[in-house]
Formats: sequence, C-alpha cells, structure tokens
Amino acid sequence: MTWLERHLRLGQAVLYLAILAAWEILPRAGVVPRLFVPPLSEALGALLADHREYLGSLPTTFGEIFVSYVVVCGGGILLGQLVGSSATARRMLLPVLRSAYAVPLVVLYPVMMVWFGLGSQSKIAFASIYAFIPTMLTAVAGVAALSPALAETARAFGATRGQQILYVALPASLPSIVAALRLGGALVIVGVIVAQMLGSAEGLGFLITRHRTLLNSPGVYAGIVLVLLITGMHEVLLRRLERKVAAYRQGA
Amino acid sequence: MTRALVAIRGVSQRFGADGTSVTALDSIDLEIPDGQFVAVVGPSGCGKSTLLSLVAGLRLPSAGTVLCDGEPVTAPMPRKVGVIFQEANLLPWLSAVDNVAFPLKLRRVAKAERLAAARRMLELTGLAGFEGRLPHELSGGMKQRVAIARGLVQNPAVLLMDEPFASLDEQTRMVLGDELLRIWSETRKTVLFVTHSLNEAVYLADRVVVLSARPGRVVDDVDVDLPRPRSFAMSAGERFGALKDRIWQHIKGAERR
Repeated sequence: MTWLERHLRLGQAVLYLAILAAWEILPRAGVVPRLFVPPLSEALGALLADHREYLGSLPTTFGEIFVSYVVVCGGGILLGQLVGSSATARRMLLPVLRSAYAVPLVVLYPVMMVWFGLGSQSKIAFASIYAFIPTMLTAVAGVAALSPALAETARAFGATRGQQILYVALPASLPSIVAALRLGGALVIVGVIVAQMLGSAEGLGFLITRHRTLLNSPGVYAGIVLVLLITGMHEVLLRRLERKVAAYRQGA
Repeated sequence: MTRALVAIRGVSQRFGADGTSVTALDSIDLEIPDGQFVAVVGPSGCGKSTLLSLVAGLRLPSAGTVLCDGEPVTAPMPRKVGVIFQEANLLPWLSAVDNVAFPLKLRRVAKAERLAAARRMLELTGLAGFEGRLPHELSGGMKQRVAIARGLVQNPAVLLMDEPFASLDEQTRMVLGDELLRIWSETRKTVLFVTHSLNEAVYLADRVVVLSARPGRVVDDVDVDLPRPRSFAMSAGERFGALKDRIWQHIKGAERR
C-alpha cells in the first residue's frame, strides 16, 4: 500500500484546502480578474457585512426548498415505487419518462412565472417539475432491481402480501429510496436557486442576481458560498443516511 | 409401510396460454411416507423444481392434487413444510439469528421465544457463535446452513430442498451433505430433495425418483438399499455405482434428444 492509499482522508483534506487557497491566491495574484472571481476572503467579508440581508433571504429559500422536497421526494419516490413494482408499467412509462427528462425544463420557467406569478409558487413549481422525473427514475430503478427470490422465500414461509411489503420490499428498497432522496434534494436546491435567479423579488438566488447586475462580485460570491453550504450540508446528511442503510443493500 | 405424509396424485402442470402451452409435468403420482428421504432427479428442464414448488404451495397444479399430512396444499403451509432454495435467499439486513427467526416473526411468535428457537437451530446446523453475523459476513456454505436452520425452525414435518448445494463448491457440498444426513437422522424429517447430481441423490436418499424430459413423468423409482449411516467410502462401491448407472441410463437418453 502506498502512503497515499493509507492516508486518503488527509489527501482529500489537502485537496480541499488547495482549492480554497487557490480561490484566495489566484485573484490576488492577478491570474483571474477580480470581477470574475474575487478572493474568498472578500466574498466572506461581503457575507459578514451584509449578513442581515443574506440571512433574511434564507427563510424564503428554505421554505421553497422544503415544499419542493416534499413534493418531489414524497410524490416521486411513491410513484417510482408503484411504477417500479409493475413490469408492464415500467415498459410503458419508462421511455416516456426518459424522453420527458430530456426536455430542458428551464425554457419553461418564463411560462411558469406567467402561470404562478413572481412569488414562491413559481419557484416551487419549477423545482418540483425539474427534480421529479430523475428522482422517480432513481426510485424505479431501485425497485426494479429487487430480487423476486426474497419475496418468494418470504411467501414460502407464510408471509402475507402485507408482510412481504413490510418486511421484504420496503427494507430492500431503502438504499434506492435514500439514493432518490439525495438526488432529488440536490436537484430541488438547484431548481429553487435557479428559479429565484431567473425572476423573483426575494431569496438567495435573487440576491445573487441583484449583486451581479450591480457588478458587485464579492456579493455574488457571498451568495454562492451560502448555496455551497446548503448543498454541502444536504450531501453530508444524506451520505450519513446512506451509510446507515448500507446493510440493506442486496447481493449480500 | 407408514402412511404417506406427502401424496402427489395425478398432478400435471402446464404453462402459458392454451395454444402455446408447455406441459412441464404430466400426471405425476408419488406417495412419500413419513420420515423418508426422497431425491428427485431428471434431465434439465424436466420440471423437478416445479414439482417442489407445487408441494410448497407456491403454485397450484393445472390438474391433480397435492396432499400434505392429509390436507390439500393450496397455499404455503409453513408450519408443516420448510423450504430451502438453491440460493440461501437470506434477508441481507438481518443477522443470522434474525433470519432464522423470520418465519416465526411472520407468525407473531414472541421475540424471546423465537430467538431462542433460532439459536437452537443455528446450533443444530453448526453455526453456534455466528448468531450476530450479517449474511455478507458468512461464506456460501454458512449461508446455506442458515437457510437450513430457517427451514427447520418451525419444526415442520416436511423439508423441501431445491438444489440446495448447487451453488457451492464440491468440498463444501460434501460436508453439507453429511451435515444434512446428521440433522436428518436427529430430526427424522420427511425430505424431498431436488438435485441434478446423481452422486448426491444416491448418497443422501432412501429413494430416488427419476423424471423424464419435458413433459416430466416418473420413469423410475429407485430404492437405495445402501446401509446407513452413509460414508464416503460407499460412493466408490459397486452397489453405489450400479444404482447411479441405472439412473443415468434414463437421463442420458433424455439429455441427448
């Protein structure tokens, strides 16, 4: 084993630090124009200076993310489980869903603003539609991969239909449910921020766009830092959850 | 002769729609007395696994009836019949002891009681000390031992085994075969054992039922008159070879077609 193989964690930490250091040093050295990327410290300074405004944008943003999350993960995973458990439904719906997934939904956002207005509804609608299909496809793939042998075995030992679902199908699909949560959550966050950037009067995405219009780069990046924090926290939480359900993976 | 614990009467099984249907089993008649170890062999695709799933109540025959302990089999009867499949089919998120206790959990047996029963079964199958292991921490042979323990945990009168050792390497297969005979001599279950290994069939069973190629019919019913306990040395003997040869004559012709 090489030194690096034994110290993967340390290697990763160094890599993260190097990226942050590059963010600070390259603009200062004039390698990257400050208007495009201001040094990290300036972005953090802007975040501190205007922290009221940034923190004030969070309730709206989190609220929109939360509602979309519930719609996408609740509806998408439930529908994915249903479609995934029927071979006929899979054969009929999967090609349709895949081609729907290929449509770049951002082009629909202006229409959604007309339908739902400038407020939260249009953000929730866009983020939900944007994240729904990939989340559902992940859930479908998870259910489709379930081995019928386990259900058959449970049946041979007298499991009723309900017991087969409760004791076999549900636990066996936990890993794919968490995978769908992780993907759905990440896409919902992107969807809400993008929608706020494209047209709104509040929220983190709106702040980023407003600072950009004023050519206030540190302000833009202060918002980006917050977005990174949100997606990063989501990722860490979901990875932790993924490790918890690792034992439920099949093929053991 | 003791009474038949499992009786298969005029059983046929067809698959598919009327025009294109395939007959997997054709009027099978079998009476299996209490405590007998019966092996079922036959060429690939002769429906021997189908026959087992009919006795397990996992499917219904197109014609005829299957009786278990005098009762017609229309659904799984887990308290009378334990099933062991080719793959261990353990629930990957449950420890060995919880997997063995699973059939009792389905019947809502109290936790302490079902865990105690599961521990006894793991001891019987030589897995004492491995109760807390998850399936992926066990070898293929150990997983199959867990599956056997699970099949036995409700103390069923009948044990159905569908090529239980087919996915194991030969040494493990031989060890588990001897273990199965030991467990069988301790518990005296009625065993219906599907296999494609003639060695395994003759070595383990009291009686070998030979099915023909599709549609599966009983073409021979061989009484294995080797003494018990069986030993590895017997499998090199003349009588063992003669029995195997007699069964092979039926299968050879069918596999060539």
